[in-house]
Amino acid sequence: MKDEKKKLTRRDFIRGTVGATLGASLVGLNWSKAKGATAGSSLVTIVRDKNAMDAAKNVNTDVLKNMLDQTLIKFTGKNSVKDAWLSLVKPSDKIGLVPTPHLNPTHDEVVNAVKSSLIDSGIPEENITNAQGGPEKPKTCTALIALPALKAHWLTGLGTVMKIYVLYTGNARQYHEQNNSKLGETWILPHVKGKTKLVLVDALYPLCDKGPQPDPRYKWAYNGLIAGTDPVAVDTVCLKIIMNKREAMRGEPWPLSPPPLCVEAADKVYGLGTSQMENIKIEHYGWDEGLLL
Amino acid sequence: MKTSSIRLPKTIGSWTRPDSPQIVTSTNIFDYMDGAGELYTGYRFDHLEVYEYTSDTQDDILVELYFMETSDDAFGLLSLDWGGEPVALSPSQENSTTGSNDQFNRALYGQGLLRIWSDELYARVMAYRETPEAKEAVLTIGRAITADQKNLPEPEIMEILTAVIDSEWTLRKDRSSFFRSYLVLNSIYYLSPQNILDLDLSVEAVTAPYEKTNESGDRKRIQFLLVKYIDPESAQQALSHFHDAFLPEYKKGFRVDSATQETRVFEVENGWLEYRLHNSHVAIAFDSPDQESARKIIHKNILNLKEKEKIHER
Repeated sequence: MKDEKKKLTRRDFIRGTVGATLGASLVGLNWSKAKGATAGSSLVTIVRDKNAMDAAKNVNTDVLKNMLDQTLIKFTGKNSVKDAWLSLVKPSDKIGLVPTPHLNPTHDEVVNAVKSSLIDSGIPEENITNAQGGPEKPKTCTALIALPALKAHWLTGLGTVMKIYVLYTGNARQYHEQNNSKLGETWILPHVKGKTKLVLVDALYPLCDKGPQPDPRYKWAYNGLIAGTDPVAVDTVCLKIIMNKREAMRGEPWPLSPPPLCVEAADKVYGLGTSQMENIKIEHYGWDEGLLL
Repeated sequence: MKTSSIRLPKTIGSWTRPDSPQIVTSTNIFDYMDGAGELYTGYRFDHLEVYEYTSDTQDDILVELYFMETSDDAFGLLSLDWGGEPVALSPSQENSTTGSNDQFNRALYGQGLLRIWSDELYARVMAYRETPEAKEAVLTIGRAITADQKNLPEPEIMEILTAVIDSEWTLRKDRSSFFRSYLVLNSIYYLSPQNILDLDLSVEAVTAPYEKTNESGDRKRIQFLLVKYIDPESAQQALSHFHDAFLPEYKKGFRVDSATQETRVFEVENGWLEYRLHNSHVAIAFDSPDQESARKIIHKNILNLKEKEKIHER
């Protein structure tokens, strides 16, 4: 029998109709209604320090701690790190830290810095757990702190914020290729929805090509932490940095392939945040060389 | 499973490898590399052998030996990225590392990672931290891998690509890739999340851009794709499938019972698309700024293909 279903192709991207096609095919939303559901400005902070890593790419934990402190204070507008954390989480929360597990994983130093900072702010250590893994992991948590590493991915285009909860589905492979547009689903799973209190991207040593296995030629010392509470806005900024780095590296346009549909779809299909740069307020602190924005 | 004839040194400087490798097959490759196995199973993959050299004073060195069914498949994996510094791992490879001749490189090194196409083997040797000692160890392992291996030629379909067309369109050989899988094609040049060209392990395919730069420095690029199917019927079906998915508003205008067709041209969003069916081959030019350029690129490459076919017939 002839397959009458319209197939998504490169032409949809060129026409700019991919979002509408996906919106209809994924969740049957009225595209024009879904669009604009997240109007408004989202704050994303970028804190960078040239000395966050040494020449051998060892992380300087003292510098990293200062970067984290600055991130929390600048992002929340509070006067202290403790007040900043307590504006995001409660001491009674069971907090799950969710780092990227494979292919350019989140630095252990970043996970440890966040954990120490929470403890120093009065969160009991027993209330903090590493929640990366299968579907059971987030169920006991009342708050999640997403700690993805900045990277491209060969089957989803970008493998940073929207992809961080993919293991919670129990079937990560179903979100590859075109289905990467459905990664927004992972943020509205019943045991995940509404729990994310902060997205903090480890952009110390990102990977700008998709792999599938790490190639050190495509890693570079960005020495940054990128933070926000709008996951789509944070991923949009991450995508911009990756795209600009790729073009700078090759001296010619070098689009991500496959295209990272997940970012736009997270906005326009799932209403998780904004993917429009004009709706994102970026505040940058520290080292500005090679900011790529 | 193929038998390995590779003999890696037990120790290199301060590094030592285990006695036996970890064996990875197509049944457990996703356990070894979740989210990456599709790349290797997109080629004719036999098995993978993994060694980890460890040292008390330096970071580890990972050795991955991908045993493929054919040399073409090993070539295909290397062809996905021609970047890095060409290195000669054996005297017979020295002619293929200058970067200025017509041959493709067989080994490329960059920042601790050595990638090798050697006979039916594709290898990745990676120092987790590049130091002068680690680089020397990586290259020593590379030389051990390629010792006694044959330097088989590149896939035949690569030889069809014409380097320069009408003195203006130049093949970007450094962006030319051999593949069999639509997932791999999509990682090079995104076409569709569905397999609209009916690609599978039975096909041989190459894609590469042709470029020209005008006097004001503007660069134009046409993406050329050539696929060889197992027989003319499969090629016709694939082209028909492609047309239905990619050009649904246009009538096909070709007879599905005819193996060889004239070039067909279509205006699409960003220029012109042309395709042509020739026996078991489908040639497509994407993103052309005008009809004439696409026609020239397809015509010249099909002409080249016909000449190769004549040579085979003799």
